[in-house]
Amino acid sequence: MNETSMIPLSWYLALSAMLFTIGVVGVIIKRNVIAMFMCIELMLNAVNLTFVAFSRYFNDVTGQLFVFIVMTVAAAEAAVGLGIIITVFRNRESLDVDDARVLKF
Amino acid sequence: MFTVLLFVLFGGLALGCAVSMVVQRNPLYSAISLIGVFVSLAGLYILLAAPFIAAVQVIVYAGAIMVLVVFVIMLLNVEEEEQRPSNWRFMALGVVLGAILFGEAAFVLYSVGTPRGAQVETNVGLTASIGTGLFTEYLLPFEITSVLILMAIVGAMTLARRDAVVRFDSGAAEMAAGGGDLRQLDAGEVVPGQTAASGVAMARMQIEKGEAAAPASEGLGGAKIDDE
Repeated sequence: MNETSMIPLSWYLALSAMLFTIGVVGVIIKRNVIAMFMCIELMLNAVNLTFVAFSRYFNDVTGQLFVFIVMTVAAAEAAVGLGIIITVFRNRESLDVDDARVLKF
Repeated sequence: MFTVLLFVLFGGLALGCAVSMVVQRNPLYSAISLIGVFVSLAGLYILLAAPFIAAVQVIVYAGAIMVLVVFVIMLLNVEEEEQRPSNWRFMALGVVLGAILFGEAAFVLYSVGTPRGAQVETNVGLTASIGTGLFTEYLLPFEITSVLILMAIVGAMTLARRDAVVRFDSGAAEMAAGGGDLRQLDAGEVVPGQTAASGVAMARMQIEKGEAAAPASEGLGGAKIDDE
């Protein structure tokens, strides 16, 4: 198990930064609401990877508790967000964010 | 050496799946790619000696959340993303902003450096230590999390229920005009123990007819309808 120390922490951090950046670019260039939602989930996971990596390299369990809470928030976000997406789709017949630029009409 | 190989394997898989998720035009393919990212990250968590988080990652993320997403994609019958005249200036701007963001993150992480903490063998990451932390030092955030989940449940139910009332209400109005179809009639003749949405529709129709509420509408939806 000590072989984990062979992998520098910076590798995990670099991977996490790349995943987060891909998520940000996805949110910016995507127009489909569900695709944007999934990009946000990707960003949350990138941050989770950072938490777990620091938790490992500092020998502190706090980071993993944060990951646990982030996952709970993500689950709540998924439930409410997908409900909103379904409601918007029924009203507009579209998932394109350009078609939902006003909240009420 | 073996762990380095595993890291490159899982990390490369995660990166490839993430790029594929952004590039795909069909949301369903994006969802499948995202599941690949989640599973790869679970492998990385095991490499980081965090088996509990890895298991929760697969169960909650790849299991529950992605099932919800795929379910919604299929429910809404999403086809390929609409091909609109793409604004390349905005896309270039997005890529440039992403590059800047990555540069910032890389700079910060580089300046942090590797911690000199001793990497001795501990039980950090095992289920027992996580449970101990959750129920002693971090009890308050844990309880607040449960409140958050409750709020999410109520919010999701409210979103679904209001829509159901509107939909069934229009059917009831049609029935009052004598033009109700058979499906709405079936929805009206609800038996006790049916869904809350049907109970709401029944309560609505009975209110319109001026009748007393039936026992079937004494559920959650039936009791709430009188406020409106």
